[in-house]
Amino acid sequence: MNWKLPFDIPLVTPTMGIPIEFYDALGIVVFFVHITFIYVLIGASTASVIYNIFGVFKNSKEYDKFAYKMTNLTTVSENMGALWGVAPLLIISVLYTGFFYTAILKISPHILHIVYGNIFAFLLSYAYKFSWHKLQSSKGFHIAIGIVAVLIFYSLPFVFLSMANLYLQPETFTTVNNIWDMMFTPLTGFRLLNFFLTAFSVTAVVMIYFGRKWHSEGDEEVGKIAMEQGKKWFIFATPLNIIILPLVFFAFSPRITEALLSTPFIYLPFIASISLTIALLYLLKRWNQTIFSAKDVKVVVGLMFLAVMLMATTRHGIRVVSFKEPLALQAEATKEYMNNVLVEYKKYKEELKNKPQTDANSPLALAEAKGCLACHSIDIKIVGPSYKEIAMKYSSIDEFKQSIINGSVNKWGEIPMPPQNLTEDELNTLSNWILTLR
Amino acid sequence: MFDFPIFEMPVIGQRMLMAINAIIHVFVSHGGAVGGSVVLAALAWWANKRNDLVVYNMTYKILMVFFIITTSVGALTGIGMWIHANIISPNAIGGLIRVFFWKWFIEWIVFNLEVIFLLFWFMTWKKYQDTPEGRAKSIKYGIYYAIASWFTMVIITAILAFMLTPNFEAQPWLDPEIYPGKVDYNNALFNPTWFPSLAFRTFSSIAFAASLAILWTWILTYFSSNEEEKASKNRIIKFLAKIMLITVPLSAIFGFVYLSAIPEVARELIPTAVMTRKFADNLELMYSVIVILGIVVVASSVIAYFRTEKMPYVAALSMVVVFALFWGFEERVREFIRKPYLIYNYMYSNGIRPLDVPYLNKVGILKHAVFIDEDKKILKEDKSNIKEVGHSIYLIECRICHTENGINGLKSLTKGWTQGAIAHRLKNLQGGGTPFMPPFVGTDTEREALATFIHSLNEEGVIK
Repeated sequence: MNWKLPFDIPLVTPTMGIPIEFYDALGIVVFFVHITFIYVLIGASTASVIYNIFGVFKNSKEYDKFAYKMTNLTTVSENMGALWGVAPLLIISVLYTGFFYTAILKISPHILHIVYGNIFAFLLSYAYKFSWHKLQSSKGFHIAIGIVAVLIFYSLPFVFLSMANLYLQPETFTTVNNIWDMMFTPLTGFRLLNFFLTAFSVTAVVMIYFGRKWHSEGDEEVGKIAMEQGKKWFIFATPLNIIILPLVFFAFSPRITEALLSTPFIYLPFIASISLTIALLYLLKRWNQTIFSAKDVKVVVGLMFLAVMLMATTRHGIRVVSFKEPLALQAEATKEYMNNVLVEYKKYKEELKNKPQTDANSPLALAEAKGCLACHSIDIKIVGPSYKEIAMKYSSIDEFKQSIINGSVNKWGEIPMPPQNLTEDELNTLSNWILTLR
Repeated sequence: MFDFPIFEMPVIGQRMLMAINAIIHVFVSHGGAVGGSVVLAALAWWANKRNDLVVYNMTYKILMVFFIITTSVGALTGIGMWIHANIISPNAIGGLIRVFFWKWFIEWIVFNLEVIFLLFWFMTWKKYQDTPEGRAKSIKYGIYYAIASWFTMVIITAILAFMLTPNFEAQPWLDPEIYPGKVDYNNALFNPTWFPSLAFRTFSSIAFAASLAILWTWILTYFSSNEEEKASKNRIIKFLAKIMLITVPLSAIFGFVYLSAIPEVARELIPTAVMTRKFADNLELMYSVIVILGIVVVASSVIAYFRTEKMPYVAALSMVVVFALFWGFEERVREFIRKPYLIYNYMYSNGIRPLDVPYLNKVGILKHAVFIDEDKKILKEDKSNIKEVGHSIYLIECRICHTENGINGLKSLTKGWTQGAIAHRLKNLQGGGTPFMPPFVGTDTEREALATFIHSLNEEGVIK
């Protein structure tokens, strides 16, 4: 295969002697927390807009209150989601530096949407939350703020997943040159669909959980709405996801899919699918139930947890099989490069040591040391005039010294001479010497 | 940089792109979060101690603004610093992460505590506000928040200080001549400018946050229709001014200590960094501007404390503006005086290590530029693609600081130069009044190609 890979960073990976499996596990755990918050962010921000609209049309205070409560979830999950996104990126940048940076560079500057788009979405979501009671009388405007915030949040996974799919498949570095090449691929499409469906399922489970909590804390109507709507969300979002989940694997490049088939990772999405199926059947059986018991909540939360955890582990499995070959190639190339570099560097230092010492006091050596010879030579014009020409022009040494110290413009042409930083002695040596070159 | 794909930011250039993000981040996070957490926790504690509920409620209103801005703009530009660094200097940030991985990981854990305590403090404020015990509990969250946010700054200043003074001579952090080399993580962390810069940043961010809070108190009370709130203005401003009277002199003292810890070579670049090359030796101008700005801050703090009712809106605003200027310049200076390095003595601004130079001078910079197309890196026999080859070299070596025809554009910098003059100048970039430039790296053919490209920018009929 024809690879295009950067070198590895020539500094040891700081594993502190801990086996690499520890970092893999750490990566899975922090990613799981991150993605769960992001799922809730997507779902809760959507719900807070949908039920706000419901509240207006049904003229129901309960729906309005439920929608408002969801903004608390948005606030917590946007902050925690962004925060827990840092740790997986940190681990990826230290273990798979070259692939990750290459992918990020290839989809620049669009990757900056993660920063600036997010800032706007955050600010709008705060505006939406904190203006809730003040804008009760102008709901149209209020809902519009919420919709824009949600739409910006929705745009972020498009950027993120394009980046992730690019870096997960280093073979694409030869062909993919910008974000659109990666965004409009079946793989990104599949994974986006899987992402949004999972986001709605996870939020559904969170709604059921909080619905029960609110209900038992005395907020009965709102709790009922949360449980009822959570059940519906789950039942609508999950079936398609159950079908898609095991298929996502096959949208990766053939090299990765083939390698995966011989690892246990290939079973994980199927188990996740089964777990979701059980949860779906469990809720379907309780279709007419409006209030869920503690056991119901435990079962659904547990099955959802299992499914999301398995999906996170699957992602890690893709890294394992995909990076094996390019990582080895990269390490080898880096070693060869660094050895060449060191040979030449040692040669260079040796030469420097053996170089005959120039007379440090000679004016020519001083001119070299002060960088004058970057622009001037003794007898031909380079950037600035030759020293011979200069010597012909000045009759007064003081005027000449001033010109060196302060620099000059338009004396010799439009290229200015920058002011020079010299001691009195150095200035005397140089100016005396140059003027003798006449 | 030669081995990664290249992202070029037209017109404003890479540095400006990063600077915009960096300056917003420093103002909001270091000023608003680190300083703001201390100032607001102190204000809430003081109000509760005196049982002054009006001031206590006002603190919540100020906190709300700080909460909204620091958790959105502040936190995301913090992640943004990293993403900008990834796309602008992957080799540098990759190296830093290899050296500071665990410190960054610890910072992330502390960052978690910071956000959690802030969320707790802010979101449970109303729940606890009715009893003195409740308020005392709430204030505790504020204090934990302040401690956690200070710790995040502790670690990031260590990394910034490392880039400027990586402790090479006294206690080397790495022997670059051995591969794979051993990194001494402790020597990297305990570098000479860490503590001075941390102390300077701590006190100046508290002072900056206090000035922001003064301005905000002014705005809130001005628009408030509540008489009690209006009357609380002077009390709050007086308290905040007291904080300033303590922290402003301390920042000045530690600013001086920090300055003295910077190596001579780097310190010599400060005037250029502050005022661009044109005014580089007009030191009187620099000192007088600094003195005037200093007087504005000190005078407005003194007025705010002793004659609070006489402190006009303009003084509150100018206090914030002057602080913003100081901080903006401190950022610029710190980034500039590191030149020609990104990590002092280890990596040049363009991501090339001094160690790489002899080898790349022999085989050429483009040999390992994997992501550049063949016809843009290998010179054809008839030299018909020499400009394209030169452009590739520009992208690798120059683009990090220069643009073609925008900020610090090569077109205007070499106006009127002959191609020969440019080629000669490239031989000695560190001389000729530009000690802040890294050397040209590559073969003579590559230097010729780069000179041809730079010269072509000023050719007639070329619209660039």
